[in-house]
Parts: sequence; C-alpha cells; structure tokens
Amino acid sequence: MADADTTGVTELERLFDHVDTDSARLQPYEIDGHLPRAAARVETIADVERVQSVATSQEFAVISIGGRTTLELGMPPRRYDLALDLSGLNQVVEYEPNDFTISVQAGMTLAALQRTLAANGQFLPLDHPRFEQATVGGICAVGRGGLRRNALGGPRDWLIGMRMVKADGTAIKGGGKVVKNVSGYDLPKLFAGSLGTLGVIAEVTFKLRPQPASDQVVALHTDSFTQALAAARAAAAAAPFLNGCVALSGQAAARAASQGADILNDRPALVLRASGLESAADEALASALAAARSAGLEGEESRSPAIVETWQAIADLELGTPAGHTRLRIGLPPGNLERARSLIAELVPEIGSWVAAGDSGLLLLETPSVDADTVRTLRNQLGPLQGRLTIESAPQELKRSADVWGPPGPGVRLMHRVKEQFDPQGILNPGRYVDGI
Amino acid sequence: MVRELIEAIGEQAVVWHDEDLLVYEYDGTIDRGNPDVIALPKTTDDVVNLIRIANRYDAPVTPRGAGTGLSGGALAAKGGVIIGMNRMSTILDLDVENKTALVQPGVVNLDLGAEAERHGLAYAPDPSSQRACTIGGNVAENAGGPHTLAWGTTTNHVLALELVTADGEVQWIGHETRDEPGYDLVGCVVGSEGTVGIVTQVLVRLVPRPTAVRTMLAVYDSVRQASDAVSAVVASGIVPAALEMIDKMTIAAVEPVLNTGFPLDAEAVLLVEVDGPESQVEAEGARVEGILNRFEPREVRSATDPEERETLWAGRKGAIGALGQIMPNYYLLDGVVPRTTLPDVLDGVYEIAERYRLPVANMFHAGDGNLHPCLLFDEREPGATERVLDAGGEIMRLCVDAGGAITGEHGVGLEKRDYLPWIFTEDDMDTMKSLRAAFGPTENFNPCKIFPKGHGCGEAGHQHAQHQIAKFGPKAFV
Repeated sequence: MADADTTGVTELERLFDHVDTDSARLQPYEIDGHLPRAAARVETIADVERVQSVATSQEFAVISIGGRTTLELGMPPRRYDLALDLSGLNQVVEYEPNDFTISVQAGMTLAALQRTLAANGQFLPLDHPRFEQATVGGICAVGRGGLRRNALGGPRDWLIGMRMVKADGTAIKGGGKVVKNVSGYDLPKLFAGSLGTLGVIAEVTFKLRPQPASDQVVALHTDSFTQALAAARAAAAAAPFLNGCVALSGQAAARAASQGADILNDRPALVLRASGLESAADEALASALAAARSAGLEGEESRSPAIVETWQAIADLELGTPAGHTRLRIGLPPGNLERARSLIAELVPEIGSWVAAGDSGLLLLETPSVDADTVRTLRNQLGPLQGRLTIESAPQELKRSADVWGPPGPGVRLMHRVKEQFDPQGILNPGRYVDGI
Repeated sequence: MVRELIEAIGEQAVVWHDEDLLVYEYDGTIDRGNPDVIALPKTTDDVVNLIRIANRYDAPVTPRGAGTGLSGGALAAKGGVIIGMNRMSTILDLDVENKTALVQPGVVNLDLGAEAERHGLAYAPDPSSQRACTIGGNVAENAGGPHTLAWGTTTNHVLALELVTADGEVQWIGHETRDEPGYDLVGCVVGSEGTVGIVTQVLVRLVPRPTAVRTMLAVYDSVRQASDAVSAVVASGIVPAALEMIDKMTIAAVEPVLNTGFPLDAEAVLLVEVDGPESQVEAEGARVEGILNRFEPREVRSATDPEERETLWAGRKGAIGALGQIMPNYYLLDGVVPRTTLPDVLDGVYEIAERYRLPVANMFHAGDGNLHPCLLFDEREPGATERVLDAGGEIMRLCVDAGGAITGEHGVGLEKRDYLPWIFTEDDMDTMKSLRAAFGPTENFNPCKIFPKGHGCGEAGHQHAQHQIAKFGPKAFV
C-alpha cells in the first residue's frame, strides 16, 4: 500500500504545480488531529477531475476543503490522504444582474460574492458565520440555514444549479440557470448538506434578491436568557415577517459585543431585525418590540447604525467555541423552545452561553461540562419535543465517545444506498458524516 | 393479479372493466396510456400491499393524483397498475403555532389552502389547477403557480414525507425543522415525478397569511411594452407576490366566457400582485403602479377587495379552460428562460407558431421567466397533432438556446423525456438514474418517464421528437 500511496502522490505532483506534501504546509488542513499526506490546490474544474481520477485509481481518501471555517463539524475522518483545496477555484462564471441569478465557482468566499452583488443592489440571502473566509461551496456542502433561517431558509432554497465532480472524476451538473426548473432530478438539493461525501461541488448557481430599502437592527436588554427567550417567542408571534429574532445570554452577547456588535454589552438581550420598505420594517419592528415589552422586557432599546457588522458578530456565534467547551446545536419546532431550554438547564450543570432563534427553533449552547451520557440523556428527552441535537464542536474525547450526529433517523437506509451509488469506493470524506457514511 | 388486488383492498377500490378504465387513460396532455387496472388505496398499508402484488406480477406501477398533470406523468405508459391516491384525502393535523400541516397525498391543493386560511395561514404553491390537483401530485411534479415568484415552489414548502419505495418499504424522510442530519432526501423526492416511490403522507410548511393584498391589472397595446414593464418591475427591487402576463389570443378566449372586461383589441394584459403588511402593500402597490404607467398602458385597474381581486385573476386562472372556445385541442408548453431573454423568446414563439400555421395563446409567469405557450389545434385534422408536437419541440429548443430549460413546473414526464439530452449529458442522466436506483428496483415504477429511451415505451409514438432532435442536434446546454 505504501508504494501505491507514494506513486499516487507523485502522479499528483506531476499533474499539478500546487501539490504540497511538506508537513508544515499541511497543518491548515488538520481535521480532528488528522493530517493528510498531501494537499492539492486546484484552480479549474478540469483540475478537480484529474485529482479525483488519480484518487480513484489510488483509492485516496479525499476531503474537499473551502474556507476552513467548519472543519470541526462531523466525526473524525476514518481515512484522510488528500486535502482538495478549492479556495483557488474562485471566479464569477456568469452574472446578468437583471436575471437575478449568478453562477460562481465553489471556492469564492461569501463576502466576495456579496460584494459583487452589492454593486448591483442585490444580495444572496444567506446568513453564514465568518463570511470573509467561508466559501460558497463549503456553505452548500454544510447546507444549513443559520439564525435567520425562518426568513431566509438555507442554501437549498437559493441554489438553482450546480456543477460537481464525482468520486471517479466525471464532471456532471444538475439544475440550471433559471429560477424555476423541474428538468430532471434535483441533484443540487442532494449535494447541499452532503458534506462532501457524494462528490466535489465545483460551481454553484443561485437565485438572488434585491437589497431591501430599509434594514434595521434593535436590541432590548434584560436580566436573564429565559426572559429574552420568552420575549423572542412573543415578538415572533406578533411579527411573523421579521428578518431576525435572536435571544442571547449575557456571555454570548458579550462575545458578539467584543466582535463588533455595537448595540450589545454583557447583559442578556433580544435582538430584532426587520427589513423591507421603510414603513413595513418600521411596522414589523414596532409590533415585535411592543410584544417583547409586554413579555416583560424593559429598558431602552438600542438601534444599530452598523447593521452588517452587528449581525455578522451575532452570526459568528455559530462558530468559535472556546477550547475545552462543547457546542451543541438543537433544532426543534419554535413552539418547543422554552420547554427545551428548561429541560437542558436541568440536565447540564454549567452552561456558558445560549443563543436562540425565536422564530425558527434553533438553539445553540456552549458548555464546559457535558459528557457522552449527558448527551444521550438530552437526546432522549428532546426526542418528544421533536428536537434534534448535533455536537458541533467538542474536545476529541467527547467526539470519540458520542456520535456527533446522534442516532440516525429513519431515512438512513436510503442514505447509505445513495452513498453507495455515488461513491462506491468510499473515498469521499469517509467516516465524518451521519451513521459512519 | 386483479383478484389479489381486490382481496387486498376490496372490490369497490379496484377498477378494471374496460369502459371504466377510459377515465384513467388521459391527463392534461396529448399523450395517453392504457392501464390494465386501477387500485384506490385508503391507507399506507394498502399502498404497500398493492406495490408488493404488482411486483410479484412484474406489473408496472404508476402513481396518480387528480390527473391534471401536464407532462403525461400519471399515464400508464406501459400498462399495469395505476395507484390512484384520491381516497387518501384527509388533513391529519394542522399545527398553528409551528405553522405546519400533515396531510394525505389526495388532499386537494385548494382545500389545504382553505383550511390554512381558517387559522390565518396559507399554503403558498398555487398551481392554476388548484381546485382539482392534489398535494401528492404537486409533490411529484414540484408544482409552482403564480405565487411562487415570492414564495418558491413545492420543494420550498415540503418538510418531511412518508414514502413507500418501489420495493414496498415504508420510509419517513425529512424533519419538521429540517434538522435531521443526513442527505436531503425530501429534496430528491419532490419533483421526482413518481419514479422513486409513492408518497403517502406529507408534512408541509405553512406561511403567515398576508394581512393585505393588492392586485393590479394593466392593459397594453404591445407585448413588448408589457415585457418591458415586467423587466422594470423586477429591476426595481420589489419582489411582487405574482407577476403574470396574458396575450391577445388568451384575451380573445377568456373575454366571451368570463366577462373579465378585457378590451379585445389589446395585445397584452399584466397582472401584478403585492402582499404583506398593510403599509408595505400600500407603498409597493403605489410604486408598481407608477412603473406600469411608465410603459403607456391603456388602463391600470387595481383591487384590494377579495372579490374584486378574484375577478381580476379569473382571466388568468380560467384561461386554459376558455381556450376550448377557439379550438378543441391545445398543447401547453412549460419553457423557462432567464428573465432578460423573455421578450426575444416571446418573439420567437410567435414566429414559430406562425411558421407552423398554429394559433398560439400565451399566458405565463413573467416574473419567473416561465412561459406557457399554448398551441391550439384540432386533432381530427390530419397531421395537426404532428405539426403541434414539432412546433412544441422547436419552442423548447428556443428556450434551451436562450439558456433556459424544457420545464419550469409541469415536469418532464412522458411528453418531454426525449428532449432531456438537450440540457443534460449522458453522465448527468446516468447520475440521476443512479440516484433513482438507490430507491430500490424502480425500473417498473412509473416507467418511461423523465429519461429518454426505455424498453417497451412506445418508441414509434416519439418519432416527432427524434425528428426535432435530428434537426437541431443532440446537445445545447451541456
């Protein structure tokens, strides 16, 4: 095997200038303590095809890498031979602003994409942490909506087309460049959220939205996260069209404040965002604030003049957990948020920070004190509340003893069969996905 | 096999006499299929039993909803069993706080909408056939409708499904909040046109019902003016709830039947709807009206009252039915193009129709770039059907060449499967087929749909398509 491996790397080095085998230069590609034996930096889709073709013949385990913001997600890799670095595949492929669609290569950062769009008064309604680094390909591969998912949905909702390279190096595509399309199976949806286990996402086409005329962010401060959460629920019920409704514990608020959220301090808070025409945004905020006040929130409201920075600092709370802490992400129907919170508070002795989307039932918490048994108990008790718990970031020990994804859902048999069809050799991101996929 | 099917679900639920089967030979397209037997299950277990029996006899299985489909998707292309889902028509649960509904597939789209409305909510996808079409059929075709411009199509509104796969296994896939880790199998099943299994329960997302709605209707003297107005509305930064156009031929058909008050000599009518909170509707409505007026309309009408709005919509939603006034048959296309190419593509559509000596009525989702040219003909006239199919192929090619696709919301089905290679390579299609294979032994499951070729799928009937493909070459956007 060792000989074959060396041959494979040599083959790659012959094909590309950008193949690293030097261990110091491989450090950025570390995943859960594992380093690849080589990293290939690709710049064209043809490069990806060649890499996969070699990987298939050598049975190299390949992990696609974008902006390296979410490498902590998933189980430790079962094997890891090659890091396929897509950050150099970062060009705009096609952009006709009046079509309200754009095709870009997978390695483009979300920030670069948004800057291109902003020049034409448009944007891609995705709310992703660390958007200066995170690439659109990586965001699609992770495939989740963020704290504003009630208003924005997730990558699946904006993706209309995709080009991918299969495990064996065959380039394929799905969808197209039009905003409405049922021609053939929806492969882009299958790849969104597949964490690089079915193929390499090489190019994506999104539908776009015009930038809203008015965008406002307001915070109300309070004494406890429990109060902030109750107010968030009340605000969401009173104003169904909010563009953000997030409750934060004091520690979460303090971290966002230190990262540029000018309206937050170290007190628990409810942050509301409303967008649209001036009058509509005003109206939505007014009803949400009134509901939050009736739910017991007092004190001055602070309005942010720096909306993008403030919201980015809040979105960034989805990542960046302090060392030694574990971050849990729980998704559940919003009506069950408060019950979930009290249940968790009883079971987890020390909780560092809480963040919750009051309008979509997303709950993030960081804690230094959780073990595999507690996680199991939490999952059992959240089950009846339709809650799904994922361990997003954890010390190695916990990752080894608890399945970060949790017990697989009923669709898992089909998922294994899909994986077998797309990657029969099991060389794409092996072991990191659901149920060992 | 019929005896076993009767034993499984009862005599009243199985249709197999020739004269009764006639009803199931058609859907909304020109094509037809001849099923051997129809089975009408009431429960998921019934569906499992039916599929297992059919599998034992190696009989093709074709799922069917209301039969309003526009791509031949519900036709029994190779005979066998049609499993009609109409008797599974109960709304099982409606969760107001979390804005979801759990429904059986035979629930009629409009009935779900009405139930949601009672709770201040709405089900967004609203195909023109919504009075008859079912949620199961909507899931199969990823149905759209005028209001998908702002809200997206069926795939954006389905959270989870109970699916009976081709091997007769029952699977729940998806999750109420999309938080079940794993592949987006729901996203794969929605729009798979009944080729991977039968959906037996659907958990859908409901949306808040807008507190205010304003519908505007503008009458223009040229299609160009109307198209330019559409582009201007889209470019203005407003995302209307709906943005629709109908042309002169459509007006000529609907006016005598529905008395919508459209001037018969107008060339195009635009329908624009904005919805949301009161203040937003007021402001956006005023801006849209201003834009519509910039393109020299003959008149702009506006309504906020539900009844008046319904009148403005009647001409659009009743258009297809009214076309029967002009010619006995129609062939409705579903091309979709990048929005900026719409005016040129429309010119092309008129040119093609003229060349083939076919009257064409256009009614479409202008805001989405989704065209529905409707070619009118009389099938009794020798050669007319072939001429229509040839013209249809040419129009689809026009859309593909403009950077678009062959279907926006009706599905590929039986009708357009020969044209799929215009947009996808063999590798693309093989990958799609491998996804289908993951769902079990699906070869006999709604056979002859989506993908070109296939044994025993009546190749002769598809000569017209081969014709067009030979003429234009096999590939365009690949």
